[in-house]
Amino acid sequence: MKKTLLFFTIFFTLGSGLALAGDATGVSDDSIKIGVMGPFSGNASSYSKAQVGMMAYYDKINQDGGIHGRKLIAIPEDTACDPGKGLAAAKKLISQDKVFMLHGNSCSGVATAIRPVVENAGLPWIVAHAVSDSISKPLARNIFHGVPTGSANGRAMADFVLSKPDAKRIAIIEHSNDWAHSYSNPARARLKEKSITPVAEVTMERGQTDATAQILKIRESKPDFIIAALYEAETAIFLRDLKKYGVTDIPVMGTAGTDLENTLKRVGDPDAVKNYFVLHFYVDNLDGPKLKPWGDMIKAHRPGEDISSFSYVSIGSAMALVAALEKVGPDLTREKLIAQLEKIRGLETGILAGPITWTADDHQGLKKAAAAGFIDGKPTVLRSWGTALQ
Amino acid sequence: MFMQLTLSGLSQGAIYALIALSLTVVYRATTIVHFGHGDFVMAGAFVAYVLTVLLGVAVLPATILAVVVLFLLGLCFSRGLIRPIRGGPHIGFALMSIAIGYVFRGIARMIWGREVFPMPRLFDIPPLFIGNLVITGDALFMIGTTAVMLIVFFAVLILTDMGKMIQAVYQSARGAQLIGINVNRFNDLTWGIGAALGAIGGVLIAPVSLLHPDLGASFLIKGFAAMTLGGFGSLSGAVIGGLVLGIAEQYCGAYINSALIDITAYLVIVVVLVLRPHGLFGRKTIVKV
Repeated sequence: MKKTLLFFTIFFTLGSGLALAGDATGVSDDSIKIGVMGPFSGNASSYSKAQVGMMAYYDKINQDGGIHGRKLIAIPEDTACDPGKGLAAAKKLISQDKVFMLHGNSCSGVATAIRPVVENAGLPWIVAHAVSDSISKPLARNIFHGVPTGSANGRAMADFVLSKPDAKRIAIIEHSNDWAHSYSNPARARLKEKSITPVAEVTMERGQTDATAQILKIRESKPDFIIAALYEAETAIFLRDLKKYGVTDIPVMGTAGTDLENTLKRVGDPDAVKNYFVLHFYVDNLDGPKLKPWGDMIKAHRPGEDISSFSYVSIGSAMALVAALEKVGPDLTREKLIAQLEKIRGLETGILAGPITWTADDHQGLKKAAAAGFIDGKPTVLRSWGTALQ
Repeated sequence: MFMQLTLSGLSQGAIYALIALSLTVVYRATTIVHFGHGDFVMAGAFVAYVLTVLLGVAVLPATILAVVVLFLLGLCFSRGLIRPIRGGPHIGFALMSIAIGYVFRGIARMIWGREVFPMPRLFDIPPLFIGNLVITGDALFMIGTTAVMLIVFFAVLILTDMGKMIQAVYQSARGAQLIGINVNRFNDLTWGIGAALGAIGGVLIAPVSLLHPDLGASFLIKGFAAMTLGGFGSLSGAVIGGLVLGIAEQYCGAYINSALIDITAYLVIVVVLVLRPHGLFGRKTIVKV
């Protein structure tokens, strides 16, 4: 019985390995079919700008002649940010459309739900927007993360906070959901590495319209910096109430879920946001000269598309994909692409604040994010406290 | 800290009181718990927002117009959707109010998505500083406006003929009908007044909470908790319940755990229903069989 089991195990393992090694499903002489899942409808549809920007980059590559004569053919599939719809979309792309690989995904809930299906199917998948660590950890041979994950973001938040001279007393305010914890827990871990225990840890739930109790507790703890893992509306309420109680001199570090311009718009008071900093994925401001060509590229290929902070986030991983496809050469298979993706080292995209590095042991490609804050009233991208990202 | 928390609790509680009062107005007259009321609050705020921000109407006339629009909306809701099902099972009213609430929310989401909008204030009052105590303009305005609204409301109820008519219907709809009061019209009016009070709540809340389609949902549960605490059907109980709830949230958040702020309302509902089902000011209902 044991021998039979061993035989079948070896047979299927070798069989699937051989199948993957020579698997060029979705590749023809002149095209590579890529499944692009995203929330193209529903409440989270604004995130799909990430996929639109990425597909515009495919269009640019195709316009320039493609890769080894093959054009990148995106097959978009709507997930509506719903795990059930995401699963159906993944199965359709894999079984019915027979795509070569997957690239995209904005919602962590969807990406986490489809991971077993994609891992089992063995086709390469570059996650280009969703940040949950559990999508790419534990390591799956065919799954790569092309944006900083939650843990990288949390560490980046803590590192920025600690880059302020004499910042030792750190307070944390957060929602009690997984999204907030995906930022705050890695930040806590990073603080712990530096032997720092938060002086106050308070919760502000979604929908709360008053932060008095939280702010009075934080104020009593006399922090040097506050880490705020809050959604957009609660961030605005928290900052506004900080101002109300005269606590504008303590800097606040927010997540990548908020941005400076919109936060200012919501709070409506430059004085209340002057010490607000956010995680920032990019090398420049959204309207800065380094991102402008990419905005123009998106508009050239997708006329009428409004550019938002999400528009650029997936282009970096598309550049890494193109680099790997170039390296593979004309004889493209899934296994060869995966092998080449694992050789990407320190790829500077000119868009994302950190380089992309994938190895055989680590598929979480980005470890760095920048910060942004109002310096002299202007949104400025920062490497660390007081140091602009050049 | 104690005084600051009390003040903040009072200003939040004033809003809860207004919402609880509007729920109670409808409940007393019709015995219907209006589960869609939170979305009427949201609708009132959005009407004011459209008038102010998109059409450039000044904030005060926009607020008055929003209150009028919501009054008419409440009236139409009663006339068009509640009156036709009056003979049916009571659950039908609850489902109808939930349904209309979701329709409002759906329309708002369709137009504005999940975006969060800053809402202009009716008056921008600078804060007062008394030692460590900060009395914010928002708190002053919310407490002040709610107090004025309540004084007007109770003055009408107690001192005018119309108020006496309302009390008559509250005591016995059938009796009121027998002495010639048009109870159907009165009920329509009640829905209108409830919606208008909700609109005032929305206009007061939105500058503080920011404006979004889900705005009303969280305030509805606070309104229910205040209503439960004060006693179902008690107008003054609803007001006191709202104020007590607002203060309790702040004390729990600051002195026990900030995570408790969000569940205080639910705890109040559970504790009151178990220990004193008729609330602080409600009357015990005795059903003789």
